[in-house]
Amino acid sequence: MNIKRLKFIDKTFIVAIVLIITLGLVVLLSASSAICNDSFYYVKKQILWLAAGTFLAVLIIRYDYTQLERYWKYIYGISVIILVTVLVFGKEVRGTTGWIAIGPLPMIQPAEFTKILLILAFADFLARRKGALDTLGEMLPCFIFMGVPFLLIMAQPDLGTALVYIAFTLGMMFVAGANWRILLKIIGAAVGVIALALFLHFQFGTWLPLDDYQIDRLIVFADPYNDGKGGRGAGWNTIQSLVAIGSGGLTGKGLFHGTQVQLNFLPEHHTDFIYAVIGEELGFIGAALVIVLYGIILWRTVVISFNAQDLYGSYLVLGISAMWLFHIFENIGMSIGVMPITGIPLPFLSYGGSAMITNMIAVGLVLSVNIRGKKIVF
Amino acid sequence: MQTTSLLVRKRIAALFFLFTVGFFMLVGRIFWVQFVKGADLSAKATQNRMRDVPVESKRGVIYDRNHRELAISISTDSVYAIPAEVLRSNRQEEIAKKLAATLEMDQDKIYARITRRSSFEWVKRQIDPATAQKIRAMDLPGIDLTEESRRFYPKGTLASHVLGISGTDNTGLEGIDNYYNKLVGGTKGRIIIEHDATGADIPEAMHKYIPPVDGANLILSLDETIQYITERELDKAFKERQAARAAAIVMDPKTGEILAITSRPTFDPNHYNDSPAQNRRNFAINDAFEPGSTMKITTAAMAMEENIVNEQSRFYCPGHIKVGKETISCAGGKAHGEQTFAQIVEKSCNVGFVQLGLELGIDKYYQYLNAFGFGRATGIDLPGEAQGITVPKSRCKQIDLATMAFGQANAVTPIQLVTAVSAVANGGNLMKPHLVKEIVDSQGKIVQKFEPEVVRRVISEKTARDLCVILEGEVTLGTGKNAFIEGYRVGGKTGTAQKIKPGGGYMANEYVSSFIGLAPSDNPRLVCLIVVDAPKGYPYYGGTVAAPAAREILKDALHYLDEPLRTDPNKAASEAKPDNAVLVPDLVNLPLNEALASLNRRGLNAKVEGSGDLVWQQTPRAQSKLNKGSQVIIYLSPFSKDKEGGEVTVPDLQGKSLKEVAKILADLGLHLSPEGYGLSCDQSPRPGKVVSSGSNIKVKFQPIDR
Repeated sequence: MNIKRLKFIDKTFIVAIVLIITLGLVVLLSASSAICNDSFYYVKKQILWLAAGTFLAVLIIRYDYTQLERYWKYIYGISVIILVTVLVFGKEVRGTTGWIAIGPLPMIQPAEFTKILLILAFADFLARRKGALDTLGEMLPCFIFMGVPFLLIMAQPDLGTALVYIAFTLGMMFVAGANWRILLKIIGAAVGVIALALFLHFQFGTWLPLDDYQIDRLIVFADPYNDGKGGRGAGWNTIQSLVAIGSGGLTGKGLFHGTQVQLNFLPEHHTDFIYAVIGEELGFIGAALVIVLYGIILWRTVVISFNAQDLYGSYLVLGISAMWLFHIFENIGMSIGVMPITGIPLPFLSYGGSAMITNMIAVGLVLSVNIRGKKIVF
Repeated sequence: MQTTSLLVRKRIAALFFLFTVGFFMLVGRIFWVQFVKGADLSAKATQNRMRDVPVESKRGVIYDRNHRELAISISTDSVYAIPAEVLRSNRQEEIAKKLAATLEMDQDKIYARITRRSSFEWVKRQIDPATAQKIRAMDLPGIDLTEESRRFYPKGTLASHVLGISGTDNTGLEGIDNYYNKLVGGTKGRIIIEHDATGADIPEAMHKYIPPVDGANLILSLDETIQYITERELDKAFKERQAARAAAIVMDPKTGEILAITSRPTFDPNHYNDSPAQNRRNFAINDAFEPGSTMKITTAAMAMEENIVNEQSRFYCPGHIKVGKETISCAGGKAHGEQTFAQIVEKSCNVGFVQLGLELGIDKYYQYLNAFGFGRATGIDLPGEAQGITVPKSRCKQIDLATMAFGQANAVTPIQLVTAVSAVANGGNLMKPHLVKEIVDSQGKIVQKFEPEVVRRVISEKTARDLCVILEGEVTLGTGKNAFIEGYRVGGKTGTAQKIKPGGGYMANEYVSSFIGLAPSDNPRLVCLIVVDAPKGYPYYGGTVAAPAAREILKDALHYLDEPLRTDPNKAASEAKPDNAVLVPDLVNLPLNEALASLNRRGLNAKVEGSGDLVWQQTPRAQSKLNKGSQVIIYLSPFSKDKEGGEVTVPDLQGKSLKEVAKILADLGLHLSPEGYGLSCDQSPRPGKVVSSGSNIKVKFQPIDR
């Protein structure tokens, strides 16, 4: 690797990443200290994942991502094999078989890692096509390419992660020059079909390819108190999250002093609902700071994508960007009651080894594209 | 289309624009959640983790004007459950069973309560101390006791309509307890316990005790003694005459303070569910009636104030008067002939008052009617005061004016009437009637003091004074003579109004008998109104039904108030009947020598029977008219052993009036305990039986059926 290129590294991006990770560790300490006897248990583990992820990121930065183009078929193939393996051997945790145990290692969620692998493979797939996405017929190979892993994840079932796949697939296709009218029509048709299916289900009790708990989540998305238990059933999470954020005010109740968090009214507060912890304990200032940091991170990824030396790099970074964006929108959105609840984590903030390592790999890839990109300032 | 990096860049820029918009929307939503809905959600966060155990405040004591307790609060225990703790113990079945046995309640009901999804549930409120002790000893998880207060009325039915009732949750539901509920109720205290999502108490967390603020005490203007006298007398009239309802009010005319107020039927506020709900209706302020002649006081005042009449005025009553097409008659169609103004008041001459009313005219009449406060609530501090119904001025015709002038057509509440007459009694000022003198907080600090409040001047002092003299004449000479009290100057007016039929018109034989008295009439301290609705039997006149009750009330109340005797009884009697007749004084309970002196002064002879120091009974009764030199029999203690001829034979008393029976028995030295009214129909012991002198003879009286 050309060491000189390191001076082009995007420092704003790195600073934003460091800041949000630091903030994440502090908030995680507050959120998890009461869960088990060792109040640093989760923080220590998170730091371990972070270290591993940083190590991988550094390796990746040094590695010229363009070398990966050659292996796209293998990458794709490995992804599909991993997902099938998970389906067959996966452990069921909270209704999905997304977890797998390899020997003495902690359980991992392979679907997190395959996101990156598939972004890599799909970026190359798109770059090779050099456009040719003007008609539905031309788009079909893309849909088949991404449709296989999508269906495998749906089969776990992990609706949230599957939606992430749709998000980055469409985002990458859009950037790759796909006919946006057709894309809009496809999205519109999908929304229409889903709406019709839901309507038929609630009006006439027709079958839906969803589990009961998923349907409940859709019902309580419309009204969290309409869960048949006065807000103590499926609506509980949304209500408690809203109460947590809403009671935070401008400056919050202070770390370790959020009553919703510390008294366990807010479920999953160290993982999926970490944003509500920030809203309650650090208030609007903390909540807005997180959004600003994410804004900076996404802005820099877009700039990096913009300045990538080749289309492959552009698509790759943009895919990562779309992935993070969807995670952020969906996670924060469910915390503030504008999105239905799906269990996808908030990048760099939620506790979780697989996600942390995956995101750090993504950071490595972005920076790898970054230091090899054009020297144009956006 | 070939993808160029330019296109890719355009697309990236477009996508970035969408990101930005999305981020702003997120921030906007967070802003909304935290700042617009923030207060609500914060409250919810508090409510989430705080468990409140209410601590009831004690309701303030209600005292009479001399600080005698009329309503107090006693502490009782109430059982509550904290369902989360019950469920955590996992002994809910057992707890429900134990509680059901101790509290004598349905087990399933208790089970449902103690396992309900709520942070706090009452199991049973206000239990007795022994049960509370048992529950405390059981020490069940999630079950605890808290102190609540409950009203207790030590005097039972006394002043029940004023005191009202209060419910289990410490709120005044009726009466003065309701009117001053906020002040008397105090502020609930709370024990706040912070808990986590599983419902477990947090040991070192917020455990706050917010002490309750006990309610303020009310010091009423009521005088327990006068209230008692009033209730006793009204009760008598109400029961003897089997009336539909009755009301009595005693007011201090100078201040507007209510000294006594009561209605019949009544109830015991300690057990108010034992009486029908309509017994709790306070006729004295909640209902209006057509007052009849008692209302003539106001017409007389108007005429005097407007100088329509003076001492020289002469009226001629042929027994009836034509107003338009209608004819108005005096009671019984009796012609009163030529009369002075004072005489038309004394005789309660309808024709005379019709003339006064017509001469006043509609404008003037309404001006005074309003000034006297009719048709409008007096503002007394009790809930649900009625306004009464007056004929709307716009629809008032001559015939309405004529009938209003002698007390028909308008319906007034007893409190309005007593307030209006008080204005005559106190020199012309309409006072705002009130029941509470002072509100004192639990530390004894005065929260509020109610000073007498003049609403307006209605008539001049001279008119008021002159009218009082005329009203005195009505009692000494006129229809109200049953209200005459020896030793005091009493003024007043009787009223006997036919009741209105539900469909309109008047009922032939249902009356409202009333009397309003003021005493002493030269400087009235008390105004007393008695209203008896639908008394049974004859006579039904205000003078016979209501006036005697008013007399007893005024007499005893004035005695109690240490009002000095004003008039020379001899003079009063001789003024009353310039001829040979004198009124028999009330000798009962007087020491023998005083009784003899009193008879002596009137020129009456005494025959003393029995032995002892106090007069036990007399014949004839007080207020009877006797010629000078007649004999009055005074009975001393009837239980005397050394009375000669210690045994008498019980006579047959069948078919005699109360008066006759009383005389026969008194002559024999037997004690009469009468029951009912009318003619005697049954007696115990039976005739012919030999009993010892001074025995009680129960005699039942029955009205004569026609």
